Amino acid sequence: MGEEEKTSPRRSFLKKAAGLAGAASLVPAPVSSSVATAAAPPSEADSASSVPYQSLSADEATFIEALVNVMCPADEHSPNGVDCGLATYIDRQLAGPYGKGAGRYQQGPFRSGKLELGWQTPLTPEEFCKAGIAAADAACVRQHGKSFAELSPTDADEFLKAVQADRVRDEAVSLSLWFNDVIYRLFVEACFADPMYGGNRHAVFWKMIGYPGLPATHTLDVVRYRGKPYPGAKNPKSIGDFT
Amino acid sequence: MAKKLAKRAVVVVGGGLCAGLVSRQLTARGIDVLVLERGSDHANAAEARLPNQRDELRWAVRQGLMQNWQRETYTLRHSRAEESLPIRWMEAFLPGEGVGGAASHWNGCAWRWSEYDPTLRSRYESRYGKAAIPADMPLQDWGTTYGELEPYHDLFEKLFGLSGKAGNIKGAIQPGGDPFEAPRRDEYPQKPLEISEAGSLFTAATQGLGFHPFPQPAANSSGNYRNPDGLALSQCQYCGHCERFICEAHAKATPDTLLYPLLRTRPGFEIRTQAHVLGVSYDRSAKRATGVRFLDLASGQEYEQPADIVVMAAFTMTNTRLLLLGGIGEPYNPATRRGVVGKNFCYQTKSGVNVFFNDRWINPFLAAGCTGTVIDEFNNDNFDHSGLPFLGGASITAAVSNGRPIRSRSTPPGTPRWGTAWKKATADWYAHSFLVDAQGSCYPHRENFLDLDPAYNDAYGQPLLRMTFDFRENELRMSEWVTQKVGEICKAMSPDIMGSVAGLKGPFDTRQYQTTHITGGTIMGTEPKVSVVSPHLQHWDAENLFVVGASVYPHNSGYNPTGPLAALALRLGDDLIRYVERPRML
Repeated sequence: MGEEEKTSPRRSFLKKAAGLAGAASLVPAPVSSSVATAAAPPSEADSASSVPYQSLSADEATFIEALVNVMCPADEHSPNGVDCGLATYIDRQLAGPYGKGAGRYQQGPFRSGKLELGWQTPLTPEEFCKAGIAAADAACVRQHGKSFAELSPTDADEFLKAVQADRVRDEAVSLSLWFNDVIYRLFVEACFADPMYGGNRHAVFWKMIGYPGLPATHTLDVVRYRGKPYPGAKNPKSIGDFT
Repeated sequence: MAKKLAKRAVVVVGGGLCAGLVSRQLTARGIDVLVLERGSDHANAAEARLPNQRDELRWAVRQGLMQNWQRETYTLRHSRAEESLPIRWMEAFLPGEGVGGAASHWNGCAWRWSEYDPTLRSRYESRYGKAAIPADMPLQDWGTTYGELEPYHDLFEKLFGLSGKAGNIKGAIQPGGDPFEAPRRDEYPQKPLEISEAGSLFTAATQGLGFHPFPQPAANSSGNYRNPDGLALSQCQYCGHCERFICEAHAKATPDTLLYPLLRTRPGFEIRTQAHVLGVSYDRSAKRATGVRFLDLASGQEYEQPADIVVMAAFTMTNTRLLLLGGIGEPYNPATRRGVVGKNFCYQTKSGVNVFFNDRWINPFLAAGCTGTVIDEFNNDNFDHSGLPFLGGASITAAVSNGRPIRSRSTPPGTPRWGTAWKKATADWYAHSFLVDAQGSCYPHRENFLDLDPAYNDAYGQPLLRMTFDFRENELRMSEWVTQKVGEICKAMSPDIMGSVAGLKGPFDTRQYQTTHITGGTIMGTEPKVSVVSPHLQHWDAENLFVVGASVYPHNSGYNPTGPLAALALRLGDDLIRYVERPRML
């Protein structure tokens, strides 16, 4: 269990929180899972985050958890990204058919080209995503002298903006492409896909925007609620509610 | 080694809409038909049942029903000077796979085109003079007329139970319909879909500007409907899962709902799924197609299927590719302007403006694929182009078709892409915004064409199809001009916030969905020098080979392309009955 515990999102999040509080360390602190458990007694909400990561290494998990918490901070709209399941979602996608390149044309020869033709690397999305994480973290250390997860939320936000705008360069990986065409898309999916994929926990983002989810049999609603608030938007139902 | 099968009367490549319509006509006369479809049958699978049908990630984002790009994709370069690269994951357009083809996952917008579309070159020349059409724009008449196709439009609309409001019945303009509509013999089979809140706002604004808004013609069924063949559609649920999805409620007219169930009961009809056609066998000296070669994907066995008649009814791209692979017809060469196969490859010119209203509940999730409200004043040649630096135009639509949250959210300009401000804007505007969309024509350009890629192959070892394509000056100018009209309409709605008003910009980007409306490559026309097939869709170099689909359009109009191709397919079915009786150039 040791390795799995190390990569649990909740634990990594606590580790990061500890880092932000001033106990920064490049070596993962040996926090036992019982601490996490004691800090927050297990509930339904916590069960998903106690499942070990299926693709991300400890370092990658630290990066992704920090990233989703910067992109989705805890606020009046939702809990932080890790607690919304966003890191879990990204991890599962990388471990699954998407990460392995299902449906992607992977024959050579491989050449780089215009962005509009899509990314051309022979890496699978999982490998490309991880190469980008390593490259971004290395760039972060070069720029700030610390890893991405150790940046203050403001600095981390600025760093992502620079990556997005192609102002952070790596010799091998196009970090703007990595962020805009892979990471950002995964982030949005993590927020808004059906909760059964691990993100959007308790349909928190559907509630936030007022998307009612399933079953969506609206023959009468389309007339009744034309131009009016739709009551079902407050309590969205997902696929899991019907299985 | 390929195994040779017993000869069939008619073999159809592809099991989508055109194949279903051609087969309906032929099998009604007892003519033997074999359809070869590379995909599987979606009926009763998870994609066609609740709750899993409502899975945006699986079907829409991960393209669960689409062509498997791992096996076959397309390559692209924006100009001949560039090197092509394979599109390793295509977002721009989405060919289907499986019984029903792309028409099983369509939104259902089913237009007749302008009366002058089949004679577009003549129309522009007579209205603006011969010099009005630029030398690099090879527009051409189709060799048929709207009048010849009208009975088949009528039949298709009744078979598919379309919902809409006629604008022009036998020349009499109808209030509430499209006054620019080509004359039709009859009202739509069903009343229009319910109007959306966005449609109400758009209606008031466009009427105020003197325009004539009308409901988008829809294959989403406004009521319970039984078609002339006895097949049924249920009433639409406005669930917002049409395009990229199978309608589990049987409320969207599709080939798998309304054609194949009937065909399967008819003697002489057979559909073979997981049968990937590798090529059309062609006897060059006799100028005849002798059959097709296909790979049975389950066994890996290759078969030679002889046939009296071969009908190519696959997706636009596949029709063109199979002709090129078979060496049937002269490939188009843009340098010499000789040749025809791959010529006049066109797409659709899209742009739009987002509008945001604090106090109006748009509720985008209460919608069907075609709950749009449209004006046609600035489409095609419905307005005077004198003095304008372009030809063509666009239909303008208050386009609310779904509220699926991964892809269908808008935020005002300047909103950050993440963080608390992003969440706030997303929460504030999701139910209070919509897009006013311009769906524009795309006319042929001598440098936009299809050929075989010299470097990349599909999973079966055959060359991929290469697109040499970009949006050219005519389309960019048209888009900019029409989008300014969209902006004026949006202003008239007095939104609290408006998105940016800018026409389409190049280059063509495969990473963004635009439409699946790609056309051309095997175009129709009056003579072999300028077309692949005759006005009866008969190949000039093989009289027993027929091609049908949007690949035969010499240009793309400012409408969805399904209506005319359905009419052409039904007419082809009738033409083939005549051909079977007495084979000849029709």
